[in-house]
Amino acid sequence: MSTTAASPLLAIEGVSVFYGNFRAIDHVDITVGAGEIVSIIGANGAGKSTLLKAIIGQAERVEGDISFAGDSIVGRRTEAIVHSGIMLVPEGRRLFASLTVEENLRLGWQVGRKAEIGFDDIWRQFPMLKDKRRQKAGLLSGGQQQMVALGRALLANPRLLLCDEISLGLAPLVVNELYALVPDIKRRGIGVLIVEQDIERSLAVADRFYCLLEGRVTLAGRPGDVTRDLVMQHYFGL
Amino acid sequence: MLAVWINELLQGVLLGGLYTLFAMGLSLSAGVMRFVNIAHGDFIVLACYALLLLTTALGLNPVIATLIVLPIAFLFGFVLQRFLLQRVVGENVLLVILVTFALSIIIENGLLEGFGADPEKISGGWMETATVALGDGINFGVFQGITFVAAVVLVAVLDLLLYRTGIGAKIRAVSDDVAAADLIGLSSVRIYAIAMGISFVTIAIAAGFVSIWTNFDPAAGPTRLLIAFEVIVLGGLGSLWGSLAGGIVLGIAQAIGGQFDIAWQIMAGHIVFLVVLALRPQGLFPKY
Repeated sequence: MSTTAASPLLAIEGVSVFYGNFRAIDHVDITVGAGEIVSIIGANGAGKSTLLKAIIGQAERVEGDISFAGDSIVGRRTEAIVHSGIMLVPEGRRLFASLTVEENLRLGWQVGRKAEIGFDDIWRQFPMLKDKRRQKAGLLSGGQQQMVALGRALLANPRLLLCDEISLGLAPLVVNELYALVPDIKRRGIGVLIVEQDIERSLAVADRFYCLLEGRVTLAGRPGDVTRDLVMQHYFGL
Repeated sequence: MLAVWINELLQGVLLGGLYTLFAMGLSLSAGVMRFVNIAHGDFIVLACYALLLLTTALGLNPVIATLIVLPIAFLFGFVLQRFLLQRVVGENVLLVILVTFALSIIIENGLLEGFGADPEKISGGWMETATVALGDGINFGVFQGITFVAAVVLVAVLDLLLYRTGIGAKIRAVSDDVAAADLIGLSSVRIYAIAMGISFVTIAIAAGFVSIWTNFDPAAGPTRLLIAFEVIVLGGLGSLWGSLAGGIVLGIAQAIGGQFDIAWQIMAGHIVFLVVLALRPQGLFPKY
């Protein structure tokens, strides 16, 4: 179960994901280590969200292997995958609008590993949420909702956190606040896989990145090793 | 003369308790899980026959028989949802209606085959005959009183279960957004099954009371369904306390209508339902 350089926390090997006969992801290889921040960039429809769905066990059909902490998780139920330590911050936040902030957060704890991250940590990171904990989540602003969504995911005590478009539709200041938490998450040894359309933001925080185009990895590396032009070429497939 | 009306009002309120019991399970499946179980009334009747078997064949006390049926009902609801209804949930509203309609026909005819068309009733013994006299011709049956109290307690317990427990929060979460629940590892399939199990426990409780309150026969289901449906719509879909209010409104309407002319008893309930539906389609205490 230990994660070494040889066996990363998450290893996606030769994975294809299908919607019916449509191949949304085509033979992709991606790894994420413990405490490593990996960004997946790509235009709309490149297959970024599909890849996250495949990892969490919500894709229709997956070929190839996805292993987490050494165990293959392809075909496992989402419940079991989450329980073993992968948690998703879904695109569009997907909070339960009629539940209170606290109830939403508690669901994260209940589905997760029940380890060291507890409510105190969340209240410390997001003091504003503590004041609003009895409010219905649907009444919060977009930024506050994203904090709840992130808090919910962290309370599951993931070893790997999947973030799907967390900056989408939010004011830049709020996004800064959210991304400011990433180093702390990394320090806890949690691997983070970030999917973003905002390339600048995504590359600024990442240790490594992959660029997806039409379901294939067209470029991969460390953000410091590539030029902006090179990334743009592969992003748009020019 | 006034005492007569007060008495009728009281009988109506108590009848409302019985109607609330009918409605609890439907309130859960329609209000929380967002689908209508057309066989709801038939399942109440089915549970009545199960109680009949336990009380006549085994000679059990009806209270004990009901207690025995409760866990069986949970399991029955769980399995029914998990292995049958789950296959059609979310696909198309019509499919759930068709499947449960088919169940309704199967249950009715199965019971007819097994028990015949004669009305049956379970004896409540002393509970049934004892009355409380409040003077001036105002009386109520002890059993009717117990039924009302049971309805209030059941509403309170279900309300606590839904709004104060972990499983309640999960049920509400799945009700809010099924796909989101699945994305974060809340298995909607299992949570739906548990909710249906709970719904069936309330069906068994309703059966326990109605089987003593009045006669039942294999064809009694649709009437129970209609009452349950009117109660939850009157109260406001998904609102449990609203259902209690809806039950009482319906009970009073029937009692008052019956006081004018016994032929108007049932009709008065339906008329009040239609009037409320026209003036306040969201119900008395809307949740959504």
